Amino acid sequence: MDCGTALGKIIAKSDGLLPREEEAGLAGHLAGCPACAAEDAAISATGPALRALTGIRAMEKAPALDAMWTRVRAGIEEGRETRRRSSRIARWAWIPAAVALAVAAVLFYPAGTDRSPFHPNSFDVAVEDVESDVATVALVDKGEDLPKVIWIIEDAKT
Amino acid sequence: MPRPKLRGRAGAPAYCSLLLLLLLAAVPSEAADTVAVDVGAVYASNEGTSIDPALGTIRGKLRSMFNYTSYRMLDRKRRSLSVGETGEFELPGRRTMRATPLPAQGDKVRLSIQISDGPRNLLTTTLGLRRGGMVLVGGPPHEAGVLILLISAE
Repeated sequence: MDCGTALGKIIAKSDGLLPREEEAGLAGHLAGCPACAAEDAAISATGPALRALTGIRAMEKAPALDAMWTRVRAGIEEGRETRRRSSRIARWAWIPAAVALAVAAVLFYPAGTDRSPFHPNSFDVAVEDVESDVATVALVDKGEDLPKVIWIIEDAKT
Repeated sequence: MPRPKLRGRAGAPAYCSLLLLLLLAAVPSEAADTVAVDVGAVYASNEGTSIDPALGTIRGKLRSMFNYTSYRMLDRKRRSLSVGETGEFELPGRRTMRATPLPAQGDKVRLSIQISDGPRNLLTTTLGLRRGGMVLVGGPPHEAGVLILLISAE
């Protein structure tokens, strides 16, 4: 095994990618090559050093990350509360509309003109008094089955 | 499951609205101390032979009482009036009718009626009728025929 091949296998070993059956061959080369052995030692030490460094950086950043997560969580909660509030408003918003509709129906129904046809139940009418300043007035009574009529005669026109 | 929950929420207002409408329908439309005055303005003439279906059962009465061949409802107005309260009804031809319920007993209704044509007083009368009863006032000329008012009170 030459040093170039050994270096590739050293890197693969440090990454955990070296096949088990090739480990013996690499160990044999390292035993006889001080340069490659030194390279292997240096590369093998790099991983733990990087992990230690990452841990240190994580510890340094932990308070900032905690603060950021707190803000994110508060933002999520605030959004949920806003949605909940608007949902509550939407759920009850129909009540004033329904009340307004009912009031409008009560107020305006009696003034409507599109109603059922006339079905009077009685033509029993007492005319207590009748007079006119400008016309002759006649009271027409053709019996209980027919309505009483007050007929206004203006200048003998009708 | 969110879907059925939403459907339930949306259904509640609909059920409540229905309940509200039922309650409104159950409430008597006129209180005992109010009178609903209903005034229909009918144009009677000899132009054509049609009789407005909106006149209901009064159509046959009109035909047997008058010699006109055509009856058409021009307008119909209804006011709920308390005793002593005067309601004004605009009539075709710039005429107006003022109705005032007077104190009455039982199912009787007493109405003071005044019909005027501008400053001219065409008719002043006091009528006593049963709730649901009707009286006719006719005669004022209108176009090629006359105006007949169907006045009922409930």
